[in-house]
Amino acid sequence: MKEAGTQTEGGGQALAPRRKRGFASVPALRRQQAYYGALFVVPGLIVYLIFMVYPFLDTIYLSFTNWNGVATSKDWVGLSNYARMFADGAALKAFANNVVWVILGTISPVVIGLFEALLVWSGARASLFFRVLFFLPFVLPLVVIGIVWQWIYNPLFGVVNKVLDGAGLEGVSRGWLADPHTALYAVLIAAIWGASGFCFLILHASLQNVDMSTVEASMIDGANWFQRAWSIVVPQIAPQLTMVTAVTLIGGFSVFDIIYVMTGGGPGNASEVLATYTYKTAFEQNEAGYGSALAMLITVLSLISAFVFVRVRERQR
Amino acid sequence: MMSRVVGSLARYLALAFFAALVLYPLLLIVSTAVKDPLDVTADPFALFSSVHLQNFIDAWTLGGFGGYFWNTVLITALTLIGTLALSVLAGYALARLYFPGRNIVFLVFITGLMFPFFSVMIPLFYELRDIGLLGTKVGLVLVFIAGAGGFGLPIGVFLMRSFYMDLPEELADAARVDGANEFQVFWRVMLPLSGPGVAVLAVLVFFQTWNAFIQPLLYLPGSENQVLATGLYLFASGRTQEYELIAAGSLIMVVPVVVFFLIFQRLFVRGLTAGALK
Repeated sequence: MKEAGTQTEGGGQALAPRRKRGFASVPALRRQQAYYGALFVVPGLIVYLIFMVYPFLDTIYLSFTNWNGVATSKDWVGLSNYARMFADGAALKAFANNVVWVILGTISPVVIGLFEALLVWSGARASLFFRVLFFLPFVLPLVVIGIVWQWIYNPLFGVVNKVLDGAGLEGVSRGWLADPHTALYAVLIAAIWGASGFCFLILHASLQNVDMSTVEASMIDGANWFQRAWSIVVPQIAPQLTMVTAVTLIGGFSVFDIIYVMTGGGPGNASEVLATYTYKTAFEQNEAGYGSALAMLITVLSLISAFVFVRVRERQR
Repeated sequence: MMSRVVGSLARYLALAFFAALVLYPLLLIVSTAVKDPLDVTADPFALFSSVHLQNFIDAWTLGGFGGYFWNTVLITALTLIGTLALSVLAGYALARLYFPGRNIVFLVFITGLMFPFFSVMIPLFYELRDIGLLGTKVGLVLVFIAGAGGFGLPIGVFLMRSFYMDLPEELADAARVDGANEFQVFWRVMLPLSGPGVAVLAVLVFFQTWNAFIQPLLYLPGSENQVLATGLYLFASGRTQEYELIAAGSLIMVVPVVVFFLIFQRLFVRGLTAGALK
């Protein structure tokens, strides 16, 4: 992986092209490069400015207004949308759920993915079968994961309740997605099932670069599987572990698809997170202004975690 | 010796445990997709109680998944072409052509890597409405190309720029000595070498566009324009009894991605690792 800083220096080649016989003169070359540089960059830049930069700036602006998405006037209300957020029980509930989601939804798939990767890596038979199997959940669209886990949780026919009933635990079985105490966690388990595939894929690939001589030395020294994995292998894949953790964590603040498909944030607001609450506020309550303030909260949380991730990675270098 | 046998037995048990957890939901989709509708009413989720391939035809025609499939193919293809073309051009310019302000332009592009979709979601809706692109495939494609869906120009420019930076300058110099102008250097020398970089980007863009849900949900309402993700969601939340068609529709959506992924796994891992800022 390349670091942005070193690339900027590498790009200096084009900045000062070496003069050789047969070349256009340096000023002519510069003029040509400036012309084609601008020509090549402008189409992409226009699309990007119109459909990313401008709407982002507009989100900031709207978050200071009480616009309802329809009215011609957008009244400036200062910070009151942001103040409202801290007094809004539904927003606080969504935030609390989101924190649970980010913590459990990051730790679990990383640990599971790492465990799977280490198991497959330490010379299991049929490792190709397990490799394909373990990353498949990641390839599935979240809509499909949501639907199939709805079936697993189905109160009448779902496997969860069938197993519980079969084990004589009828008292425990319930409508997992309809019960406010379990809805968030039921969706979370489905999401962990999918995200583990991603963690497995990246970590398994990174294990191919582990220095085998250190592993063999530790075997001769009599280290057991866990000692070997934990103190010899894991430190060597620390950068990929950090990256997988960061990607999962940052994504956790924007989680939407799977919750929207499985519970819609319900029952009540039991499984509401910031993204689903923002969506509903903006497009079902038509509160574009307040919705934008909520969107800014998601943005700031993502940016903070991205920033922390970059710092951690710099320290690992 | 004994402990080694016990150890490897424990590892296989652990593997089997995880394999079962991962496998069950996958089998459930396949099993339900090939179940006879009569069996579905009795017990929809008993594994492989019947084989009824007619479900795929019914899902394709009666369920409307054929239409959703072609919409998804069209949108994914247009997004791919647009993102690749614009990323190659901008990435090349930012890597190898000197023009004033290019570092700022690059910075502006890669900043987009860190912003979640929600940072642009609300104004994009009204912006698309005001310029008449709301509910059109073109509007959605432009949103994807810009990078609001995750993998668009920001990751494209980032990947292609680092790709072109690694190509030796001597290649360009040799062409310049032969009298090539800067456009010919790009078109004749650099572009034909772009395959590996473009492939990595293409895999990422395909994967994310095909599976995207919230963007088409918001910006492409209306039944005739649905893509597989939203069509599947609407179908499943509407007619909850026809599990076999939901499952068949899911497979219609999933199989192309799985096949694609099995072929291009390596490129995929490389792209995800390189784009770790996402």
